[in-house]
Amino acid sequence: MNEERELAINPVVGSSIQHNNQVVSNIRNLTASLFGVAAGTLGLESYPGFIFYLVGTLFVSVLLFVTRTGGKPSEYFHKPLGDLWLGEVFGGLSGFVLTWTLFYGLVRA
Amino acid sequence: MAILGTTLNAIGLIFLTHAVYSAHEHTAAFAHAPLPLDISIELLVSILVLSAGVVISSPQLKPIQWAKWSGKMQREGRKGDGRWTKEGEEIVTENDPYAFLGLDAGVGGKAEGRRGFWDVRAKRKEYTEWVKSGGKN
Repeated sequence: MNEERELAINPVVGSSIQHNNQVVSNIRNLTASLFGVAAGTLGLESYPGFIFYLVGTLFVSVLLFVTRTGGKPSEYFHKPLGDLWLGEVFGGLSGFVLTWTLFYGLVRA
Repeated sequence: MAILGTTLNAIGLIFLTHAVYSAHEHTAAFAHAPLPLDISIELLVSILVLSAGVVISSPQLKPIQWAKWSGKMQREGRKGDGRWTKEGEEIVTENDPYAFLGLDAGVGGKAEGRRGFWDVRAKRKEYTEWVKSGGKN
C-alpha cells in the first residue's frame, strides 16, 4: 500500500524500465560468455570457477554503476540492488558454464 | 564514447585471442604444467578491457522517474527509439524517403521523373506546331 502511494506520487516510466533491464541483460550475457572463456583457459575447476564468475559480474556491476548510471542508480532502476547489482546474474550463469566447459575442453584438456 | 568502446573491444579481442592461443600452445607442449604467469595476466587484462568496452559501447540508460524522463524530453525534444542520422533526423523508412519525387525514374528510366532543366522554348515551339497542324494527335 505504501509503495502504491509512492508510485502514485512519483510515477515511473514502463518503457524506460524495460529498456534499462534489456541493456543490463545484454551486457550480462555478453560478459558472462567472456568470463567463461577466461575461466576455461585458466583451467579453473569447481568452486573457483563460480567465484571467478561472481567477481567478474561484480566488476561489471561497478562499471555499470560508474559509467552508465553516473553514481545514481535509483534514477535508472526501480530497485537498484536487485536490478543493477544482482540483475540477471543467474541469467548469465548458463552462458558462463557453456563457454567455461567449451574452452576448458578445447584449451586445457 | 562510441569510438572509445570500439577501440577497447578491438584491443581486448586481440589480446584475448593471443592469450587463448598461447595457452593452447603451452598446454600442447607441456601438458599438466601450470599456466605461465604472463599468459594469465594477459588473459585477465584482456577480459577486463573487453568487459569495459562492452559496458561503454552499450546504449545509454533512460531515467525511469516520470518527472525526469519528461523533463529530459522537454529539453532535448522527442526522440524515438529508432535510428537517427548524424544530422539528428529520425530515419522513418528503410528506403529513400524522396522516392515519391520519382527522380530515379526520370534519368534513365521510363517514367517522367523530375527534370533539373525544362526547355520552355522547345516546348513552346512544339505547342505552336501542334496548333498549326490543327491540333491533331
